[in-house]
Amino acid sequence: MRRLRAAQPMLVLIALVAVLTGLTVIVREISARAGFLVERPIVLFVWLGGLLIAGIVFGWVIRRSVRGAGSTSSGLLLVATALALASPLALMLLQHPAP
Amino acid sequence: MAWRRAVTALLILSGLLSLGYIGISSYIAEQLVYEAPKAIVKTPASQALRFANVTFPSREDQIMLKGWLIPGVLPDGRLTVDRVIVVVHGTRTNRESPGDHLLELTAELARHGLGVLSFDMRGMGESPPAPLSMGALEQRDVLGTVDFLHHGAPPFPELGRPRIIGGLGISMGASTLLLAASREPGIAAVVSDSAYAEVVPLLERELAKRTVAPIGCVPGVFAPAALVMARLLYGVDFFAARPVATVARIAPRPLLLIHGTADDYVPIANFHQLQAAATSSAGSQVTTWIVPNARHAQAFKKTGAEYITRVVAFFDAALGPAA
Repeated sequence: MRRLRAAQPMLVLIALVAVLTGLTVIVREISARAGFLVERPIVLFVWLGGLLIAGIVFGWVIRRSVRGAGSTSSGLLLVATALALASPLALMLLQHPAP
Repeated sequence: MAWRRAVTALLILSGLLSLGYIGISSYIAEQLVYEAPKAIVKTPASQALRFANVTFPSREDQIMLKGWLIPGVLPDGRLTVDRVIVVVHGTRTNRESPGDHLLELTAELARHGLGVLSFDMRGMGESPPAPLSMGALEQRDVLGTVDFLHHGAPPFPELGRPRIIGGLGISMGASTLLLAASREPGIAAVVSDSAYAEVVPLLERELAKRTVAPIGCVPGVFAPAALVMARLLYGVDFFAARPVATVARIAPRPLLLIHGTADDYVPIANFHQLQAAATSSAGSQVTTWIVPNARHAQAFKKTGAEYITRVVAFFDAALGPAA
């Protein structure tokens, strides 16, 4: 049960990314009918708003999971989640190192 | 427990960094895919040429585009649309494009007996707002001109329909034209002036020099993610704007590649990449002209009459004489 709780942030992260991406595509399709000048800010607004909400939800899930984690494997799962979270940024930095 | 604190700190730090990185990249993407269109001030009438305003749909997504059809003027003064050159302007400008003297160039083509269809690509000039994709989507606009010339209502019914169609593009217009011509055999000859081989390296470099309000200068590290976000948020696939991957398909149709040696926006390495790709196909007919000391899209401004002589001679040879 504790291991499952430690895996929660990773699962929630995957679910949030999927929901947010899907929502943005739907909003884009709907708002495109009103023209690109309407579509452009609406899509950004929904995406950034979604990111913010996703961040809050994720923070809450992390708090719960860290409190409940008691074993080494739970700790490692949480570290893996942190690495998955940072991987897009790390990949970009590796490809574009500072001069 | 110490490890719990460390894990929490790691999660919060990676979460905040990723959130900030994606958020800023998304905003940059939003700024990248659109710029307010520039108004058209002059028309071909300012060049003492007859023309008609035309409206026609792009291929596939049916965006209604605005343009001018300018009949060519034969030596005896008669008008003709026997051969029509589709003229494609560069990025963030319009069919008049004062920066590279496009209206003057189209006027010169018309005075040499070539009909001209000059139009505003989507999101620019008088055409409707649309995302800027540096050729990936705009190639549909060029394909729309071919459909219009073949099947649309002719603005000069007395002159009939074109017998043959050529294309001339400058900068992004050249790359867009190369992408379109590789898909459309109806474009019988292509002049490409200052084209890029692929746009992503160019955008990554340019983004780092660009200022985006209120962020200011965009650190280069945001560029790759901004390009990915443009695809995710607006369906703009800058990675598909790669004429170097398709230019070989233009053969055996004639292709004239023009580039300035002093081009610091699209470095001349792009010209060499396109030349190598275009000539890799059996039966390719590639002519090249490197213009000494010409900056980006300034070959016509720099050489004037020589530019017209070379381009008209190329089209005369490729499309045959006007009927």
